Amino acid sequence: MWYGFAGKLLRVNLTSGEFKVEELDKNELRKYMGCVGYAARLLYQEMPGGIDPLSPEAKVVLATGAVTGTLCPSGGSYEVCYKSPLTGTWNQARSGGAFGPKLKYAGFDFVVIEGKAEEPVYVYIHDGEVEIKPAKHLWGLNVEETTDALIRELDDPEISVAAIGQAGENGVLYAALINDRGRAAGRGGIGAVFGSKNLKAVVVNGRGGIKVAHPKEFAEAVEKAEQWLKNYPFGSIPSLGTVGLVSLNNSLGILPTKNFHTAYFEQADQVSGETLNRKYQIKRRACYGCSFACGRYTSVGNGKFATPPMEGPEYETVDMLGPICGVADLEAIIRGNYLCNVYGLDTISTGMSIAFAMECYEKGLLTDRDTEGMPLRWGDGEVMVKLVEKIAHREGIGALLAQGVKRMAEQLGPAAEEAAIHVKGLELPAHEPRSESKVLAVQYAVSPRGGCHMHPNWASTWDFGQLDCGMKEFGLPWPPTGMQDESPQKGVVYRYVALQGEISEILGACIFYSWGTEGSCITPQLYAEIVSALTGWDVTAAELMTAAERSWNLKRCFNAREGFTRKDDKLPGRFTQAIPDGPSAGARVENLDAMLDAYYETMGWDRQTGLPAPEKLRELGLEFAIN
Amino acid sequence: MSKVLVVDPSLCTGCHRCEMWCSLTKYGEINPSRSNVYVIRREPAVDVPVVCMQCGLCIDVCPTGALKRDGATDAVVVDENLCTGCGTCVKVCPYGVLRVDEETDVAAKCDLCSGSPACVSHCPHGALRYEDAGKAAARRREIWAMAHAVRIR
Repeated sequence: MWYGFAGKLLRVNLTSGEFKVEELDKNELRKYMGCVGYAARLLYQEMPGGIDPLSPEAKVVLATGAVTGTLCPSGGSYEVCYKSPLTGTWNQARSGGAFGPKLKYAGFDFVVIEGKAEEPVYVYIHDGEVEIKPAKHLWGLNVEETTDALIRELDDPEISVAAIGQAGENGVLYAALINDRGRAAGRGGIGAVFGSKNLKAVVVNGRGGIKVAHPKEFAEAVEKAEQWLKNYPFGSIPSLGTVGLVSLNNSLGILPTKNFHTAYFEQADQVSGETLNRKYQIKRRACYGCSFACGRYTSVGNGKFATPPMEGPEYETVDMLGPICGVADLEAIIRGNYLCNVYGLDTISTGMSIAFAMECYEKGLLTDRDTEGMPLRWGDGEVMVKLVEKIAHREGIGALLAQGVKRMAEQLGPAAEEAAIHVKGLELPAHEPRSESKVLAVQYAVSPRGGCHMHPNWASTWDFGQLDCGMKEFGLPWPPTGMQDESPQKGVVYRYVALQGEISEILGACIFYSWGTEGSCITPQLYAEIVSALTGWDVTAAELMTAAERSWNLKRCFNAREGFTRKDDKLPGRFTQAIPDGPSAGARVENLDAMLDAYYETMGWDRQTGLPAPEKLRELGLEFAIN
Repeated sequence: MSKVLVVDPSLCTGCHRCEMWCSLTKYGEINPSRSNVYVIRREPAVDVPVVCMQCGLCIDVCPTGALKRDGATDAVVVDENLCTGCGTCVKVCPYGVLRVDEETDVAAKCDLCSGSPACVSHCPHGALRYEDAGKAAARRREIWAMAHAVRIR
């Protein structure tokens, strides 16, 4: 009998067209707690190093966790784990919506996708049944059209569809997998991986429930969470959506602008959450089981950027298609977001690739000859929208942009290198390491998927947020110092920030619920209460911490096997230069190496190589990852 | 006068927490398919909780007399000892809010949780309310009227 989990893993081999249902081993699952932790074990053990992520040998794991699909308010997520074709590193792309919960209701905690189909297919998973069905008629359709077609074909409006659009089919290296029309497993190019496997979509629905070991205690723990969340410190996330951050961040000089040239955008009020809500919002919408509802539904009624109702834009997208490209037109941003949703593109890498091209155009590294006469000027919303189209279809200059900024810079020469804002090939998101948080600077350098603000945590909780998130009892240094302080201690702090975030990853939880303190967010201690009542396992916060550390180390080992070491834990050179203007003028990153030294040391990793020491791996029961 | 369960779809975010709380309360598991409140999410941007109006049409057609009105809450409730799971009530329900439970094999519907509906206590946005009948009637009139108003944007 399984509580909290479905207890099953589905293995689909697209080459043979066969599938297999495997029972999960409870002890092995608990060791990694589930979701990303267990997926890391699967991929580390089943996928040898050096495999081309776009080859049939590459595997993909769709992973849910204990809290997915339950009343735990952060339970609307699933994670797609794979080796990224954009970075060559481990990647995990989280998405909300209904897909994760419905996969569990359909009877599976995990789906492992292997091989490559001869012709386009989709996988239909419903109530324990699995069908690999032809998708030739869907190839070439966008995500919205695909979703509508599948609802008609399967005659079930309640299905959840995770599909790729043209961008994934065309192998854009940062193509996304989009579920429920507007929720993205966005980063790292999972869409291209699906495309390379001739896999158009995975469709789920189920009527199975999730059994609860101790219903009364579970209800009490969830009620406690509901009460605590009334004091959540980031009230603008529910009320304005994440885009509410635009005004705040601009006022602090932490709003990345013009390819991270600066952190302050003159016309920020034109693209703010307040403006979005007043002029374009249709309604707020939640992922499955989420009480916050940060999602926005918006549309643009008429004009050149007319857009039907769609999910978004959220903060990252607004900044990436807006200020990062110098664009101050919210209608252009909404249109660009819509196109990214339907073509299946990561809005962050898309925006950054466009901004990179605009900077190269300004510097004369790209000319009208390269762009077929289209001037790539900062702030031109129409050009931004056109480039989204061209990227998705790899048409004209879009073929260059579709490779991401690292590869573009390699082709355009050393002069372009300085404008390529990425870590390990992953374009940086809309958080400024110079002025928002130096802990974030550490995360950008070391996150297993490259420059990322969310995996495993929003790293600014300590110095920007001044929040302990329940981590003091484990040794989180307190009180916090300021946002721009760059003492080596921040490397130590990052250990706690990372492991707290990793707890969400191994539970399958949305990270937004982890920011606060006891009484205002879901702390590791409260997660332990919820998960214990749900699963019947007597889980403590300390056990969650150990499992998180296991997962975090294993992902580091995954990347080590791909050749990544300390030498790759670095930031773009631009961040050693001062922010030129705005409220945070003068801020820069100067002491990354000292913070990294402190971080590796506190992790039990070798300072020279940045890799987990054998004794650390033995301590965590990861002997198989010692090489 | 007893209270009434009312819905304001304009406040619903489609989070489905009411369905989960309903199934946890009734069956000790989390399963939206076994909920007696139904959240319909459709595109574009439709999120509507559909609940039992407690109209009682089902009472009249039940061949075994298993459906009756509760004296305290005025809810129409199922007597599981009398119900044979024949599904006649499901056929007649105009709102589609009756079902035969797949595990228990008897009719299942909203019983207002004996006067303290779990869905209402836990709706994060006040889209579901349990209100005095007079106030509820006024809210229903309002929603009915506004549904016919021309949308101005």
